[in-house]
Formats: sequence, structure tokens, C-alpha cells
Amino acid sequence: MTEREFRTVGKAVRRVDADDKLSGRAQFTGDMSVPGMAFAKLVPSPLPHARIVRVDAARARAMPGVYAVLTADELVNMETRYGSDKKDRPVVAMDKVRFQGEPVAAVAAVDLATAEAAAELVEVEYEELPVVSGIDAALDWRGEPVHESNLCHEYGYEWGDVDAAFRNCDRVFEDTFTFPMVYHYAMEPHVCIASYEPGRIRLWTSAQHPFLVQAEIARLFRLQLDQVQVVVPFVGGGYGSKSYTKIEPLVAALSREAGRPARLALSVEEAMRTVRRHAAKATIRTGVMNDGTIIARDCVGYVDTGGYTDNGVRVTERLADRMPGPYAIPHVRVKSYGLFTNSTPAGSYRSIGGPQAVWACESQMDVIAHALGLDPFEFRVKNLVPQGEEVRRGKRPIEGDLEAALRSVADAFGWEASRERAASERTSGPADGGVKRGVGFACAVTNSGASPTSTSLARLHADGSATVFIGSAEMGQGSRSAMAQIAAEEMRIPYEKVRVVASDTAAVPWDRSTGSSRSTTLMGLAVQGAGADIREQLLRLAAEHFEAFPDEIDAEDGQASFKGETVAFSALVREMFGGSGGELIGRGYVTPKHPSGKLRQDPVFWEVSIGAAEVEVDTATGEVRLLRYYSVSDPGKAINPKQVEGQDEGAAMQAIGHTLLEEMLYEDGQLLNPNLVDYRVPLFTDLPGEFETVLLETGNGPGPYGAKGVGEGGIVCVAPAVANAVFDATGARVSSLPLTPERVWRALREQQDA
Amino acid sequence: MLLAQESGAAALYAGGTELLLAMKSGLLAYDALINVKSIAGLDAVAADDRGVVIGASATHSAVERDALARERLPLLAEVEHSVANARVRNVGTLAGNLCFAEPHSDPATLLLIYEAELDAQGPSASRRIPVGELQTNSYETSLAPDEMVTAVRVPPFPAGMSGAYSKFGRHHRPTLGVAAAVAVEDGRVADVRIAIGCVSPVARRLPRSEDVLRGERVDGLAADAPALREACRLAAEDADAVADLHGEADYKAHLARVFLERTLLRALGRNGSGGDA
Amino acid sequence: MPDGMTEIPVRFTLNGAEAEAAVAPRMPLIDLLRGEFGLTGTKRSCDAQVCGACAVLLDGQPVSSCTLPAFEARGKAVLTVEGLAADERSAPLTEAFVNNAAFQCGFCTPGMLLAAKALLDADPAPSEETIKDALSGNVCRCTGYKKIVEAVEEAAEAMR
Repeated sequence: MTEREFRTVGKAVRRVDADDKLSGRAQFTGDMSVPGMAFAKLVPSPLPHARIVRVDAARARAMPGVYAVLTADELVNMETRYGSDKKDRPVVAMDKVRFQGEPVAAVAAVDLATAEAAAELVEVEYEELPVVSGIDAALDWRGEPVHESNLCHEYGYEWGDVDAAFRNCDRVFEDTFTFPMVYHYAMEPHVCIASYEPGRIRLWTSAQHPFLVQAEIARLFRLQLDQVQVVVPFVGGGYGSKSYTKIEPLVAALSREAGRPARLALSVEEAMRTVRRHAAKATIRTGVMNDGTIIARDCVGYVDTGGYTDNGVRVTERLADRMPGPYAIPHVRVKSYGLFTNSTPAGSYRSIGGPQAVWACESQMDVIAHALGLDPFEFRVKNLVPQGEEVRRGKRPIEGDLEAALRSVADAFGWEASRERAASERTSGPADGGVKRGVGFACAVTNSGASPTSTSLARLHADGSATVFIGSAEMGQGSRSAMAQIAAEEMRIPYEKVRVVASDTAAVPWDRSTGSSRSTTLMGLAVQGAGADIREQLLRLAAEHFEAFPDEIDAEDGQASFKGETVAFSALVREMFGGSGGELIGRGYVTPKHPSGKLRQDPVFWEVSIGAAEVEVDTATGEVRLLRYYSVSDPGKAINPKQVEGQDEGAAMQAIGHTLLEEMLYEDGQLLNPNLVDYRVPLFTDLPGEFETVLLETGNGPGPYGAKGVGEGGIVCVAPAVANAVFDATGARVSSLPLTPERVWRALREQQDA
Repeated sequence: MLLAQESGAAALYAGGTELLLAMKSGLLAYDALINVKSIAGLDAVAADDRGVVIGASATHSAVERDALARERLPLLAEVEHSVANARVRNVGTLAGNLCFAEPHSDPATLLLIYEAELDAQGPSASRRIPVGELQTNSYETSLAPDEMVTAVRVPPFPAGMSGAYSKFGRHHRPTLGVAAAVAVEDGRVADVRIAIGCVSPVARRLPRSEDVLRGERVDGLAADAPALREACRLAAEDADAVADLHGEADYKAHLARVFLERTLLRALGRNGSGGDA
Repeated sequence: MPDGMTEIPVRFTLNGAEAEAAVAPRMPLIDLLRGEFGLTGTKRSCDAQVCGACAVLLDGQPVSSCTLPAFEARGKAVLTVEGLAADERSAPLTEAFVNNAAFQCGFCTPGMLLAAKALLDADPAPSEETIKDALSGNVCRCTGYKKIVEAVEEAAEAMR
């Protein structure tokens, strides 16, 4: 039997949201309005660490047009704290504030101007506490800690006999690297409308995980899941910033207090005080033989999770999972710690812990290669984990051929030739100063997919069109389109006949979350299951219709055929119901016990990340110009190749941000650059001259048609690849990000002095 | 008159790209805004006997595109195109940029080497202010509360002088701006004008660096020429760089040295090409 | 014009049709467009004229509606993404965005389309460098920019 050709999978189909998004009609939460809704404004703490002595909202409440002021006093008849792993975040600050900008109160008023004016009238008396600034201060702290202690979480694992192995190595390297706090800048800052009614809460919100928000709100307000509806319209960028629960509890509590719906739309400054990426510090000790074989690795990492845990637990663990790199190392010990400091709570951001871990690991790989006189590329290849073997003991083996993937990027980039060209230009150029070129490489695998649990429903209508119900939030990644493709393929109907209803907990079945590169793989499997369920029903109906067996029926393009006769799916549905209406319902479940057998092991899949960079360094100013960047993306099977490229390019560009530009700057707990003027994100003018994604379709993913997730891989290798290229160009090693001109200039001067 | 009546509670609005941002963030508060743009005729770019008169409500885009400005002040037109982004240039005005006195301004630095002047109008009298005497500190000017700038007068460079402007930085506002113009006669530097901005609260001319270069032979002015090195060393000193989000003072002083050299060599390279750009 | 409680009457052309409103002196144009006229395609993001999500065309030139006072529209023509989408002459531009995957979350897209339109109106055959320069005031956090440059190049060719 010949393989059936895909009709829509693998094609660059027109996105289902194209018309909405190109016409301004696409509805985001901020574009919605609920009758009678009040406008909310936060009362932020100006201090990063302080005890709350007194909150007086009397003047604000007395102001005409003010419906309610929410303070800690109003958090009664409900649970007061929330959080994904640790419920340590109060709905509004209670007893003390732990970061500058933490909401101490919130005002609901007839309009925004009134709410803003009233917020100014809320008087808060504080007793200042010493400020815990950064990882080093948190570790060595004698004053009052942020919580009971400054330790949020610790994690580690070990295999082999690490201490003995180090004694038997030819060389031991120890290096420390730091990674800054960065801000996602999803262009739509967090926004939420909540409507509290007795026995029911409805929320329209910019959330990535509608069902986790539903569960958190139900728990906080002591309601059943069916009493909480979370609707997520289009999301204006997520990248992790809208993971789990953010402003929703506050807005729901404010709505309860105001007795009417309430809307809170954050500014960029407020969003920067809501969530950020974890700053990190990692020390890696590596023992090698002179031939370049890595024998032992001992990693210690710290992440700064800010004033509350948010996603600090998982990020601490992922940092540890991702630090040793994609290498076969017989002796490994990893420890990681999550620390509280007085700064914006840190949560998920595209590949949690990944860029931080890989920055340290892959920078050190070049340090070692250089010291041993090896080509950094061949040094990596020599130590890669072979296909089918475990990269972490007890976890899913590596499904792909990493060496082949590395070589595909090196070939596309022209690694050998570029390296030689840069080297010869350096020796022929002026000895002092001037502009120097260099190339750098980095690679990683990251454990992705989060939890393998999703569900989906599909309805085939009486006219042959279909509606598919998914929990995934559409935040740009194109999940609605990919799911429409998969559903169309499975139901054997044209892509244009599929409509997707998404992310409304009252309408669509349960999904865990939208993140960790999981939707195409896991929600994709659920949709595939729902679509296949419909197809099987159609085949049975067609068999009845033709008085044949189901396996004798062909189904394609909306019709079933048998021995030259055809019948439309729509006719089969109507036939079944004996009238003009009716429809078929298909369901798809994804659990760790999925019949494919591919979801039993953790992680769901390993996401491959590879980067090759060529830079120019102006040694007089320290300015780094990224001339060429090549990345890899292995979607297993690309459901929509253009969108896969877009995920990879977008991730790499965000990484160019934290590599060269972005850094949240704090001084004594005060954020110095809380705006886009002083927090500079990449612009068109930062686009490298060559910016390429090498698309591999290895077909080895656990998702539909061999697909696996993408979207995070592109972000993890840019910083080390660029820093390695800077080293190649100048011999200066920079161990802190971003690689600002000043930082590179100072590294160059230190290197000259040395 | 209105400005006098409102006495401090009012601000002049000439595009608002800076002012309204500061008001939105709560840094500034005024009861009233007086719209300079509604005063007829102030948006003109015209010639006078000394050069080009740019009205107070002429936008950066207008200057950038104006035929007269492009012909007589090509370097200014070029630098105006590099201010912020297209939307800011379409609304923000050159005069407004100068009067807002934000320390990281490209035109404030460049106009020093043009030796531009401002027309200021008070309730009863008007005066001319050399551009170097307008700004007194970050966000502070020598204008009286009831005085407004009505025009920026920019004379072209004298015949034989050509200029260049460099800016550097990774933020939206420049970390450093250096402007230099050189006139060459008989193979020597007959005249030179140098200004530096953004590294300190107020952009300034660098007279000591200028003095060192005056009279030097041009063909000897390679990157390692003693006079050029001395001029750059003095620039690093005289720039009075201060630390801020853009960098530490020693780094900015170093940048002053690097970019004065680069800018001067570019200005010299343009010499003899006819225009001032 | 003193800034009191008095509202300013504003007559202007909005997406080709006559429009009229009375605005508070400090109301930014975006609030007039989104609030009074229900044109929610224009997005507020950075609120500091950096990102371009709020860009609209005023007499054909891009401006930041988050900061520009609404009264500045007096006597002028305002074009928003809704107007652009309704104009068949812009179809090659929007189709090029579809073909090249030049949008993802869609939040920057309205401003991006308008900035691209202003560019193509002024320069029907822009170089890659010109495109990057003209759009450098518009942030996209999703696509990585390359696909937008390609879309504008394709649109330029299609519209010539």
C-alpha cells in the first residue's frame, strides 16, 4: 500500500488568524468591554523591602466615582495566597512588601483617570527593611530575609564517582558565568477583565494557561471548576510572561469588592514589575583528558527568583537539568539553588533556565577547547551523547543524531572556511586596535514538553465543515492553524473547512498549558485523536451506506468512496440523524499512557539547539556586530514550515537581545530602566546580515506524524555562540551578559594588561 | 502674553514628543500647554542673509526633507534623519528638542559647530541666544519663564569647511555624539570646530582640542599624529563625562577620544568634496 | 490654547470619511480612535514612542498615537489599520505579510503595516537597508524581523 500524501500538513497554509490580525479586527483582551465594568489602577509599593505598618484607603474610597479599594483587609472569605509550586504570593501585599512595585492595594473606579487619582490618595506607611540585592547578597545575608529565609528551592543529582574522577583527569577547568535579569516585553502587557458574581467568576485574560488560571481562581475563591470560566482571546505575545497566574486573582478580588466587573491593563512599567527572567550565576568545573575527552563535570548554579517563587522551583530544576550539556560524561554532579531577592518575581521565559545554563556550559566548552588546542566544533562532536543513549540518567534517551545535526549547521554556516578566513584576516590586519572578526559555536539539548496531558474535541457538522476545540492559547505561535491542519488531515476534509475554538474553559476541553514547546506535540496528538475518531465514525457510516466493510472505503476531500461511487461526509451525517441536521463528535485524550507509547518517559522530547555566529568586534569601542547567525530547528515533522522558521528566528532575535542589549538594572532594589527607552530590545537594525534557520525534519518526535516542539531551541545558543565568536576575534573572554560595548572594552583591556 | 499670564503653570508645546512623555510618567506636571504649532508661520524653513532660519514649529522631518536645508546644511539634514525614529521626527521639532534640554540630543551637539543662534521672544523684547548658551543643565535652559524660542538660525559652514557627526550607543538615546568641522588652507588646518554631547548634562565645544589642531599640516594628521592624539586626549578630559545608565565616566571619556579621532578624519576626508557633509 | 476642562472640537478625515469629535486637550489620539470610534486595531504598548504598535498615518506620515494629542488631527487625514485593510490598493502588502509569515501574535502588525505603507508610498523600490531604517521605530518581539523585511520587499515588487 502506498503512503498517503498529506493534503495540508507540511504546507505553508494561510494562517487561520490572518484576516483578523491584518485588518485590526483581531480581538485581544484589552479590546474587550464588559457592560458596567470598572477601571482599575494598582497602588504599587515604592519600596523594595518593607513592613506595612498601615494602609489608609479612606480618602480614596470617599472620592466620587470610586467603586472600591482592595487592600489586604478585604482578603476575607477566600484563600489569600497563590502560586504554581509554592502558594507564597498574596493577592495584594500582606504584612510586608518584597519588591518595588508590588501591589499594596488596587482601586476600581468609573474611569481610568478617577482610578489613577484615587490610587494616589491611598496612604501607606512602611517600615523600611534592608534590601536583598542579587544572588551574592542573598547567599550571604544577615538581615531580615525576604521570606523565612532567602532560599526558595534547591535541587541536584549525581552519577558516577565525581571526586575520584577529578583526581584522574589531565586538566581541570573551573569557570563562573553570570546571566542578567531580562524582561520578555510581550508587546501586549498583562490585561484582565474579571466579573465576580455570587457562585460564578468569569475572566477574560491574557493568559497562556487558561486551565491553570481556572484552577487557581477556583481554589482562591473556594468555588468549583465549573463555576469559574476563563476566556483567553488572542494574546499579544507570551514567551512565558503570561504563564500560570499573574494579575487574575487581584482583578477577581477587586471585582468582588466593587460588585461589578473590573478591568486592569498594565503598562510596560507595571509589566516589568510583574515578571521577568531569572538572573543566574553558574560555576562549572570540568575534568578532561588531554585528548579532549570529558571525564567529570561538577556544576553549581543559582537563580534569582525575586520577591516571590513564581516559577522559581521549576527554573531552579531546569537550570540544573540543562547545565552539563549534551555530552556523554561518566561522572556528573549538579546542584542548583533558587534564591529570593527584593526584585520583580521571576517566572517562565522561553526555555526556563535554558539560556542561563547553556551560556555557562557552552562558554566553558570553548575555554577548554582553546586551552587544549582543539577546534571547538570537533571538541564538542567528540563528546556528544550518541543517538539512543541517555543524556541524563533515567530520562528519555536522545531521539536524534546530534552529530548529524551539528554538522548540518556547520556545513550551512561554512564553519571551517569562516574560521580560517577570520583567523587569516586577524593576522594580516593591523596589530593594534581596529575591527576584528571571529566565529563561535554552541549546542544544547533541552528537556521540553512539560506534562503530557491534553484533550480535544472535534465536531463534524452536517454540511461537512468542522469545529475543533482546543485549550491552547494563541499567542502568535500559530497553534490554531497547526491544529486546523492536523484536524483537516485526520478528518480528510479541506483545511479551509475547519474552524478552531480555543482557550475558553467553558467551551473547550481541558489542557495543561501553552508553553515549553508543547502544543504541536501534545495538543496536536489530542487533535489528531479527535480527528481520527471522526474519520473512523465516517468510515463506519460509509460502510453502512455502501453496504461494505469500513476498510474497503476510501475517505478524502470531504467524501467517502467505494468502487467508483462517492458520498459526501455531509450526507453521511444527515443520513445518520435521519434529517437535515446532526453532527459527529470526536474526542482525543493525551495522557502519559497514550497508546503510541511515546509519552511514558520524561521529558516528552529533547529540543535540539545549535548556533553558529560570526561577529565583528570594534576593539576601540568594544562594540560587537553580529554579522551572521545560523540556527537549527528540528520540528520532527514541520506541520507548517514557515511558522517553524518564524518560531526559530523570533527566539534567536530575543536571544540577540539578552546577548547584546537587554538587562534590567537595579540599584538598591529600585529598577532604573523600567521603560522601552532605557530597556532596549532588538530592532530591525539589529538584524544580522545573514540570519538563517536550518530546518531538520528527523521525524522522530512523539507528536503527530513524528512532530515535536520548537520555539524554545532558538533562544538558548545565541549568547555563548556570540561570546565564543568574540573570544575567537579578540582573545577576550566575557563572562557576563549582555555583551555591551563597555563590558567588552573592559574585557579587552584586562586581557591586554594580563 | 499667555506664557506670562500662566506664570510657571504652563509649558510650551511644540510637538510634545519629549514633554508629553515626561508628563505621562509624572516627571513634569503643568496645568496648561501652549501650542506653539498653532502660531502661524512658525513652521517655515527659510533663508536669511546669514543662512537658514528654521521656525520653532518645524519638525525634524521638515528639516530633513527641506530642499534649502539639504542644500545649505546637508550635515544637519543628515543628522536630523538619524534622530529617534520616523514617528518622533514627524512630530517633534528641532527647536523643541533644544529647549527641552534633554542631555542626549544629537542636534544640540551638532548645532554648536554650526554656531547656530536662537531667536527668543519675551513679552516685551526679543533677543538672540548663541546655541551654546541655551542649555544650562539637564532639562534646564537660560530662557526666562515668559520667553519662547521662535526660530533657530543656522549659518552654513564657511566656504572650504566640511564637517562630520558621529554618534554611538546601544540605547535609544545616544551615549555620545561628536561633531567636528575643519577648514583647510594651503595644506593646513585653517579653522576647526569640535563639539561633544550626551556624555555630560550639557553639550559643549572643545576649545583646547581645537587650538591644538589649528595650523597643523593636514597630510600629517594620520590616526597616530601627535597633534591629533593630543586633541583627542584633551577631548577626553574636557568632555567632563559623567556616569549614568549609558556607561561609566572613564568609558565615556575613552569614547570621546576614539570618536573625536574618527570624526575628525571623516571631516577631513570630506574636505574638498564641495559640500559640508 | 490654555488647557482647562474645555473640550476642543476636532474635524478630520478618518479612513477616508469625515469625522468629528470633541476632545479633552490632553487626550491622546489613540484614546479617541479606540474609545470614540471603536477602532481597536491601533494598539498601546510601550507608551513611549519606541515600539510603533500605536502608529497611525497622519496625512500619510506615521505618528505615535499614544503620545500625539488628538487635537493634532484637526483638518488632517488619519489612516488606521482598519482603513488600510479596507483599501484594495494595500492588499498586496497584507498578502505579502501572510505569504512571508511576517506576523505572529499580531499586536505589532497594525503599526507595522502602516509604517510599511508610508515607506512604500514614499519609495516604491526600497533597498533592504532602507526598509530596516524606515521600520526601525517599529518593534516586533515575535518574528525576528527577517520575514517582515521579506514581506515588504515582496509587497514592493507586487505593487510596482
